[in-house]
Amino acid sequence: MAATRRLQKELGDLRASAMKNFTNIQVDESNILTWQGLILPDNPPYNKGAFRIEINFPAEYPFKPPRINFKTKIYHPNVDEKGQVCLPIISAENWKPATKTDQVVQALIALVNDPEPEHPLRADLAEEFLKDRKKFLKNAEEFTKKHAEKRRESSSSNE
Amino acid sequence: MTTEEYDTEMDYSDSDCGDPGYEDYYNVHPWDGEGDNDIDNDQSRRDPEYAVYDCLRIEEVERLLNEDVESLSNSLHITPSLAKVLLHAHNWALQDIIAKYRTNASSLFINSKIKPLPPLDSLSGLKSQRSGLCSVCVAIQSAEKFSTLTCGHSFCKDCWCMHFEVQISQGISTGISCMAQDCNVLAPEDFVLSLLTKPNMRERYQQFAFCDYVKSHPQLRFCPGPNCQMIMRSKEQRAKRVMCSSCKTCDLIRNCNNFSFRCGIDYHAPTDCNTMKKWLTKCADDSETANYISAHTKDCPKCHICIEKNGGCNHMQCYNCKYDFCWMCLGDWKAHGSEYYVCSRYKENPNIAHESVLAQAREALKKYLHYYERWENHSKSLKLEEQTLEAIKMQINKKVMNYSGTWIDWQHLFAAASLLTRCRYTLQYTYPYAYYMEPGPRKELFEYQQAQLEAEIEDLSWKIEHAETTNRGDLENQMDIAEKRRVTLLKDFLEV
Repeated sequence: MAATRRLQKELGDLRASAMKNFTNIQVDESNILTWQGLILPDNPPYNKGAFRIEINFPAEYPFKPPRINFKTKIYHPNVDEKGQVCLPIISAENWKPATKTDQVVQALIALVNDPEPEHPLRADLAEEFLKDRKKFLKNAEEFTKKHAEKRRESSSSNE
Repeated sequence: MTTEEYDTEMDYSDSDCGDPGYEDYYNVHPWDGEGDNDIDNDQSRRDPEYAVYDCLRIEEVERLLNEDVESLSNSLHITPSLAKVLLHAHNWALQDIIAKYRTNASSLFINSKIKPLPPLDSLSGLKSQRSGLCSVCVAIQSAEKFSTLTCGHSFCKDCWCMHFEVQISQGISTGISCMAQDCNVLAPEDFVLSLLTKPNMRERYQQFAFCDYVKSHPQLRFCPGPNCQMIMRSKEQRAKRVMCSSCKTCDLIRNCNNFSFRCGIDYHAPTDCNTMKKWLTKCADDSETANYISAHTKDCPKCHICIEKNGGCNHMQCYNCKYDFCWMCLGDWKAHGSEYYVCSRYKENPNIAHESVLAQAREALKKYLHYYERWENHSKSLKLEEQTLEAIKMQINKKVMNYSGTWIDWQHLFAAASLLTRCRYTLQYTYPYAYYMEPGPRKELFEYQQAQLEAEIEDLSWKIEHAETTNRGDLENQMDIAEKRRVTLLKDFLEV
C-alpha cells in the first residue's frame, strides 16, 4: 500500500532529523495511520509548555490530506475547544500529494506562534487577541501552565 | 419571445396528454391571444423583457466551444487542450487572449497557470526522476514510468493517475494542478486523459470539465430547471428573461423555467441580481421569525371564524358571514377601490428618527415583515393558481366531452391563467425591489404602480376562479389591463 510505504519513509526521516520543536513522535505498531507527538512553540505565551497533537492519515494518503487534532487544551484563536485546527496547507483544496508531514507540522507550529485572528475558530479569543493583547497573553499563559505538558528542557528525545 | 419561435418548437412529442398532436397545436400560443393587440417584432423590441437567446443541447454547445478551441489552437499554434486552459482562464474571450499573446506570451502562459513562475525554485522533481524515486509514493521506478508538466516536477504515472482519480471524485476537473508543494501549474486535458485509465473516470472528468467550461462562458448558462439538460446562450449583458424550450414542454407555466440570465436564479424583474441575492439571504436568515409571526390561517375580520386560504386570489369572501375582505390587510374589499389599492403600500412612520433603538428595531422588523409577507403570499398564490389551472383543464375536458363548446371555445381561459401567472410572478418580485428602495417620490411612484398592478391581478384572479359566471369579454379586457400595467411598471423600473 502506497500510504504505508510513504509513511514509514516519512517517519524514519523525521526521527533521523530530530527536529527541536516536534518531539516524542509515537506511532502504534499496528496502525501507522495515526501519529502522536509534542509540539514546542517558540513564542510566548506558548513557549512554556508542550502540546500533544494527533495526526490522522487517510487510507488514500498522500492523495488526500492528513487531519490534525490537539490533544492538549490550548488557548488559541485558531484552535477550537475540541482541539480542531484550521490549517490551509492540509485543506482539501490546497493539499498537494508531494507535501511532507514535517512541512505540515512546521506550518502548524508557525500558526501556533503567530495566531491569525482574521479567520478564527474561536471568535471570542480572536477579539480578545486584537482588542486587549495584555489580557490575552495573561489568560493564555495561565491556561498553558494549567493544561500543557511539561517540557523536558535538555533531553528532547525523539522516541 | 416571438410567435415564430413557438411555431418552430413543434418537434416535441412527449406530451403528457393522450393526444399529443392537437395538444401541441393548441398550446403553442399560451398568452398571445390578446386579440386586439397587434403583436409584431416592433412590439417585442419595445417589450422591456425582450432578449435574444438560443436554447441549446449539450452536443450543440460542445460544437460551439470546440470552434473557439480550434480557432485559438490554430492561431497560436498550441495544442487544443492548452487552448482550452487559456479559454477557461479568460472566460472564453478569444480576441483578448490573442492580443495578450501578442504583447507578452510568457506572462500569458504564467498567468493562465500553463507555465510555472520564472525561477524554477526546486528541481527536486527532476532530481527524483534521475534517481528514479517518485517523491509521492517513495518507490523506485524506471525512467519511462515518469511524467511531468511544464514545471518539471516529475512523478510516476501511477501517482499522477491516483491524484487525478481522487481530484475527480471530489468534483475537480479543470482545476487539477501539479502534485508539488507550492506549484500551481494546471494539468491540461490531454495530460490528464493520457494518464487516466478507468473509462468511468475519464467520462466523469470530461463531464465535469464541460460544466466548468459552460460556467466560465459569459454567454452560456445551464437551465436551472430540475434535471433539465439544456443550456441557454445569449449575448445580452443585462438581466433578462429567458425560457427554456425543453422544460417548457413538460409544464407550460412552471416558473422555474424563467430565469435571469445574469445570475442564473429564477427570473426576478424588476429587482436586480445583487438586490435579489441580498433579499434571498435576508429571507433565509429571518424566515423563522416571519413564519412564526405570519401563520397560515387568518380569522375573518367580521365573524372571527378561522379561514385557510386555498386559492390564489386575495379577494376573500368569508363562507360563514359572506363578508368580502382583503387577505393581506383584512380590510373591507370595497374600500380598496379600483385605482387605490392601499394594501401594497407600506406607510413608513416619519417620526422614526426620534424614537428609541428598540422601537426602531421593531419598525425595521415590521417593515421587513410587510414586504416579506407579501412576497411569500404571492409565491403561495402562484402555487395555488397552478392548481387552478389544473382544475380549469379538467373542467374544459369535461365540457368538451359533454358537447358544450369545443376545445377552441375555452382556450381563452388557458391564456388568462398563463397571463395571470406572468403578472403575479412579476408582482412577487416587485417586493424585494420596493424593500430596498430609498423613500422618496420614485418609491411612491413605484408603489403606486405596484398597487395598480396588484389590484388588476387580484381582479383577474377572481374572474378566473369564477370563470363559469364571468363574461369572456370582461375577462379578456381584464387580461389586457393587467398585462399593460405589468409592462408599464417594468418599462419604468427595469434599468439594470
